[in-house]
This record gives sequence, C-alpha cells and structure tokens, in this order.
Amino acid sequence: MNTPLETRIVRALNAIVGPDHVVTDPERLVVYESDGLTSYRVIPLAVVLPATTEEVAAVVKLLHGEGIPVVPRGAGTGLSGGALPSADGVVVGTARMNRILEIDSDNRIARLQPGVVNAHLTVAAKPYSLYYAPDPSSQSTCTLGGNVAENSGGPHCLKYGVTQRYVTGLTVVLPSGEVIRLGGAGRSARGALDLVGLFVGSEGCFGIATEIEVKLLPVTEGVRTLLGIFETMEAAGHAVTAIISEGLLPAAVEIVDNATIRAVEASVYAGGFPVDAGAALVIEFDGTEAGLDADADRAEACCRQAGASEVKRATEATQRAALWNGRKKAFGAMGRIAPDLLVQDATVPRTRLPEVLARITEIGERYELKVANVFHAGDGNLHPNILFDRNDPDELDRVERASKEIMCLCVEVGGTITGEHGVGVDKRGYMQLVLGEVEIEAMRAVKRIFDPSGLFNPGKVLPDPASPPVPAEASA
Amino acid sequence: MSVVTSLGDVLPAEALSGAEGGALARVARGAEAVVRPRSPEEVVDAVRWASANGVGVLPVGTGGRTTPARGDGPFMVLAMDRLSGLEIYEPADVTLTAKAGTPLADIEATLAEHRQWLPFDPPQVSSRTLGGLVATGESGPVATAYGELRNHVLGATVVCGDGRVLRLGGRVVKNVAGFDLLRPLVGSRGRLGVVTSVCLRAFPVPAKDRVLLLRSDDFAGLEAAARAVRTAPTLPASVVLWVRPTSQGAALLVRLHGAELTVDADQATLERRAGVSFARADSELVAEVRDDATDAPVVVTLSVLPSRLFEALGAARDLLGHSSVVADAYSGTARIALAEVDTDTVRALRDTIEEMGGALAVEAPDEGPEVRAAGSRPSDAETGVSTRLQEVFDPSGVFWPCRA
Repeated sequence: MNTPLETRIVRALNAIVGPDHVVTDPERLVVYESDGLTSYRVIPLAVVLPATTEEVAAVVKLLHGEGIPVVPRGAGTGLSGGALPSADGVVVGTARMNRILEIDSDNRIARLQPGVVNAHLTVAAKPYSLYYAPDPSSQSTCTLGGNVAENSGGPHCLKYGVTQRYVTGLTVVLPSGEVIRLGGAGRSARGALDLVGLFVGSEGCFGIATEIEVKLLPVTEGVRTLLGIFETMEAAGHAVTAIISEGLLPAAVEIVDNATIRAVEASVYAGGFPVDAGAALVIEFDGTEAGLDADADRAEACCRQAGASEVKRATEATQRAALWNGRKKAFGAMGRIAPDLLVQDATVPRTRLPEVLARITEIGERYELKVANVFHAGDGNLHPNILFDRNDPDELDRVERASKEIMCLCVEVGGTITGEHGVGVDKRGYMQLVLGEVEIEAMRAVKRIFDPSGLFNPGKVLPDPASPPVPAEASA
Repeated sequence: MSVVTSLGDVLPAEALSGAEGGALARVARGAEAVVRPRSPEEVVDAVRWASANGVGVLPVGTGGRTTPARGDGPFMVLAMDRLSGLEIYEPADVTLTAKAGTPLADIEATLAEHRQWLPFDPPQVSSRTLGGLVATGESGPVATAYGELRNHVLGATVVCGDGRVLRLGGRVVKNVAGFDLLRPLVGSRGRLGVVTSVCLRAFPVPAKDRVLLLRSDDFAGLEAAARAVRTAPTLPASVVLWVRPTSQGAALLVRLHGAELTVDADQATLERRAGVSFARADSELVAEVRDDATDAPVVVTLSVLPSRLFEALGAARDLLGHSSVVADAYSGTARIALAEVDTDTVRALRDTIEEMGGALAVEAPDEGPEVRAAGSRPSDAETGVSTRLQEVFDPSGVFWPCRA
C-alpha cells in the first residue's frame, strides 16, 4: 500500500481544479484502476479532473515539482493498458474537457478539447454535412484525446487512414507543465519538422494534448454495404486479396469468424449474420452515388469467385446499421461466452492473411483455447480474441503462451505487434520482436526530450526490465 | 583534395567521382567531394568518416530539389543515385519497398504494370528519387483525396549522423509499435539522417482521371468557383489555381478520379454548385501546371487556410507584381515564381501572411541567406524540440549543410 498523497498536495490540487474534481476516496478510485485491458489493475493515489489547458498545466507542473508520476487518461477504453495508473502516481483525466471549440465548415477543420467523444464530433459536424473519419469500434465512448494518444484506427481507415492523417495542430502540456503549440492548419510553409505526427501515437508519454485541431471530410453521398458469406476463413481471406487486386478501394473490409458470429447473434447486438457461416465479410463502398453499384457488383464477383455461398446487400439503412453494430460490439458480445477476453491486435501484409488465419486456428487448437476473429481484413489488421477464465491458472498460462506465438507469427510473415491498440503495458515485452536495441534506444532518447525526469506515464511503451508491470492475476 | 584522398581509405575508389552536370553540379559547388555509395554499408562508412573528420554531409537524390549547403565549412555531397532498385513489391499488398536512390519514374513504371500508382504529384515528380521525395515531404495537390505523403510512408531505413542504422516502421499499412520517429523524418530535408530504403503504400489507378478546366481573367469569379469546388459534398482529387504572368490570364484545374459514372456525376455536381461549365483538359496540361513556377531564381511558398488563399495571393500580387502562381486551393498553399526579390518585400509579405494566420518560405539559391531567413519560422518551442530531435539522430551535427 502506498503512502497516501500528502494533504498539502491534495489542497494544492483542490485549489487548482476545485475539491469536487480531485478524487482521493478509495471507493471512487477503483473506477480508475484499469482501462479496457482489465488484466492489469493499479489504484492511483488520486485522480484529478481539470477543465482547461491552464488547469492541466498547473496540475502537471505541481506534480512534476513534487516528483509524482502522472498518468493521462481519456475515456479509459484503451486495450493495451496505456492508461494504467501508477501506484505512486496521480491520474489526470480529461473527462471534463469535452467542449467542441469551433467547427470551421469553410475550411473543414474542427478545434476541440481532448475529452470530446469521437462520435460526438461527427454528430456536431453533421449540420455542415461534414464528419470525422477515424471510427474506432469504441467511438461511442472513446475520446479524441485518447485517439490522438493511440493514433487510433477503425474499420474505415482502409480508405481514409488513421488518426494521424486528420490531426493538423495540437496544444500540448509537457510533463514539466509548459504549454506548447505544435503545427496548425494553414501554417505548413514554416518548414517545421512534423512534431504533430511525432506526438500522435505517443501513448501519453510525451504530454497531454489539451486542444486538438482536426480535419473533417464531407459526408459521402451514398454507401453500399455487402455481406459475403463463406464456409472458411481462408476463403474469405482470399476474397479480400481478390477485391484489393481488382483495384477496388472499399471504405472498409471487415472479417468476422464463426465464433464471433455466434457470439454476436446470441447477444443484444445481433446484426443478421447467419450463425452457420464459417466466416463473413462486411464490405463497404462509399462516395458519389453513381458508380457505387458497379463497385459493389465487382466486389460481389470477387467474393463469389473466392467461393462465397451467398452475398447479400444491406438495402436499407437499418440493415447496414445492424451489421455495423454487430461488428463494432462484437467484443462486448463475447462477454456472454467466457468471463475474460483478450483482445489481440497485430498487422500482417494483407496477402498473408489466409496463411496466418490458418496458423492462428492451429495455435488455438494446440493450446485448447477458444479464439474468435473479428478484424480489419482490408488493412491486414488482425484481432484474434482469446476467450478464457482468469481464475483458471493453467488456462491463463496457455493464453499467454498462445498470445506470444501469435505475435511471433505475425512478425515472422512481415507484420507487426500492434496495428492500432498501442503497446501500453501489454506489449512492452514484445517490442524486441520488431525493434532492435538501437531503435528502442532512439525512442528512449526521444522520450527524454519531452520527459527528462521519466515521470510521465512511466512504464509504458518502451521495454524496461527493471520494473516490469504486474498483471492482476500475478498479484491475486 | 586531402579530404578526397583520405576518403579513399574508407570507400572503394569507384564510389568516388566528380560532380557530373546539371543539378548535382549546382549543389556540389564548394563541396570537397561527391560520394556515390553503392550500398547502405558504404553510406554508413561515408557518414562515419565525415563525422570523424569534421566534414559535413549533404545527402542528395537527383539534386533537383536540394537546397545548397547552408553555412561554412568543409562538406561532402552524398549522391544516392546508385543506391537504386526495388526491394519488395507484392502487388496484392499494394505496398512497395525500394532503395532510396530509385527514380520515381522506375517505380511508377513498375506499379503501372499492375494498374497501381503513387498518389503524389509535386513538381517534377517523375524525375525525383524515392528518397528525395521523402526528404522533401512534398505530396502535391492530389493529397486532397489521397492524404499526404507522410501518411503513406510505412517504413524507412535511415543512417544517423554517427553511423547508427535505424529501421523505422515496417511494411504494413497500420503500425503503432513504439513512438513514430518516421513522421518527423518525412520532410526533414536531410536534417535528421540519410534515408537508404523506403516502404510506401500505393493505390489502385482510378478508372478515369478527368481534368476539368475553367479559364478566366476574372479573379473574383475564379475564387467563387474554387470555393464552390472545395466545399462541395464530393471530394475532388485536386483543385489547382494557375495564374500566368501578365496578360495570359488564370485557370482553375480540377481533377476527378473514379469510375466514369462517378466522375460524370461529380462534374455535374461541381458545375451546378459553381454555376459554370468546365472545359476538359488533358494530362499534359496537368503536368505543365504541376511543374510551373518551380524553375525560377526565386520561389516564394505560402500557406494559409483555404478560405484566405485568394486574399493572400492578392496581397502577394500587390507586393511582388504579376508572376506565375500555382496554388493548391484545397490545402491553401501556393508557390510564386519570381525573377528577383528584396528582403524588405519578403518581410512585408511574410508579416501580411502571418497576420492571416499563415506562413511563408523563400527559396532563392542565388540570393544571400538573409532573403531565406526573412521567411516564417517555427515557434521557439517547436525549434527547441526539433533541435533536440536533431541531436538524437545526429549527435555530432554532421548534417549541418541541410540546416538553416
């Protein structure tokens, strides 16, 4: 048990943000003990909820001066433990910083605070016929600040790219409490290095973004959503390659395996997937209405050539919404099947998908584990999800070993250990699979530029054998 | 020539040669040597040697877009043209990895066989090298529809100032394993290191690439049309304003990519919104406009929010007179070609553009450094972080010829 935060520090925090926004009560702190990766849990000393850039700067400066670790937190939906608290640290949450500051429809940019929920931005932009493109599955709760930290993706990143493509400027509170502004729309001619791009995806290790400027896109005129039904994952994988090789650029190509289909269809998120299908592809085209049917026809032909038993089209908005809801809530639906779910995340070259999927199935069978696949097939971004019960130590051990094998497999075929969920605490141990010591040391040096004292989101991203994170199971 | 002699100790003699003609000769002016490595190992040797001997390094693709060495002191030109060739290209992955000195024309030809392309169209794109493209970070106006170059560089191998070799990113389209050191590398113009290999995402060639043209002397009319196009519900591939000097008028070029049905519909939408009828133009005009306003003694580049572009160009015309202008109306950037310029005029325009929230840069190889220095600067905070980043990549400052 850590020494509680000194009263004078609590008072100083109260003075900055108001006592209602400093959480020290142990019962309330439990809410913050983990993010979406619940296998790691740590109770922080306190949680502070500032409302402005100035308040964040004052809080961070105070804690920095006291030598207290700071862990930034958005909505806590992250899946790699990036927002896992430090036992001797304070969590700085952005929940109150939820204002959209400006929507400049003429220039198609928005300025907002980091606590704005991803989907709320699109709702606010709708009257201008604009929207925000990156759409992580958690978009109804995750925040833009978290998206910036994780460089979040989503199904439609196949066509539209990830968060980094849309962030044009940032106001950042550095770990020292200093406030800096990076980038800014209309200012590219200054010849600055792309520091916005460096900050996006830094997983809360370089500072807290307190104001974010993003690009918006025009709402597309039309959309076509296809559901391809296959007997095997391998056949579905071949269809993906065929669609891409055909020169089509779908907005999204998602794959769902039988285990996931059964979980989703048995849940409140049922989307109309046939439960006896070996695999299903959700393929979507968007853009100008004219021409979409032709694209959809070509994609359908690719599916049939790859052995699809059936290709359906969502002809009504409600059907499309049901399919997407089923896809995006699949992780939630799996909660019915097993007490615990490890949502994995890795990317492989798209052409290796059929082979990798077959080998993941083999790994699951060998370790006697239930593996459910639901992922962004068009990007080669896999999410093999392992269902388990953490109270079974033998099964937990098999989960860890299978996970590592899957990661090694993805790297072996030319892929990487995380496509969109980040490294956080979860994948620090895998970093050496994809990076050499020279690259890791360069990343450490870059981290020191922003955080020389190493107290900002400590123990994340970079491997640090001196203080390995402790999974809850290990301490239980 | 003592430098060249001692360089011969670490590099095979055939890796050394004099500067041969054209752009390379221009940037090699004043250099102690031009080194043309044939392998990444020779790049490492050359950079290590330079670092140990207090010689600066100016990496060069073709030299066509390289700013000559800034500052004083002995330096070598590291010409990357012999480090050329595709490394990995799996068409169905729609990604490719090639050595940095590979001409983009070669890559374009290979991709075209599989109906793929790189959606980047900066000036003289086909005569650039892959490494040169990444060093300048220039995407060109089709970034409107496809996103910027920095979003499509999936991986790179870079030789740092002390000879360390960093393998950054990978060859998959989504990758968040560790901090993204690739992003500041793209567009760093040699300030951080020498890129020896690059992995890029490619795209399928659109079925139709239609070029719409609106010629006019009426600037206000063109502004209204440009606004109608850039705020339309359909996203064009690019929207470019082309202003000719003196009496030759101006034009708006809009490219539409997609299936024939799609571009027909998009054209109708844009014409309805803008209240105009576009003529058709061909890809030759696109290339002419793309390359215009680059080969001039002075090129002023400015950036503003797109809504302020025409206002900024009006201010530029008032101060600089009539000149060739090529502007990306979707992003709000423009380049202006000039025969000459004086520092006070640049400063006055810079102040005006900065008041609009924009920025301005000047390339004027034949003018003194004060002209270039009159352009906009990153903030002190950004400069501080950038300097520290340079120290991480290049601790001994061997790439000083690339820095302001």
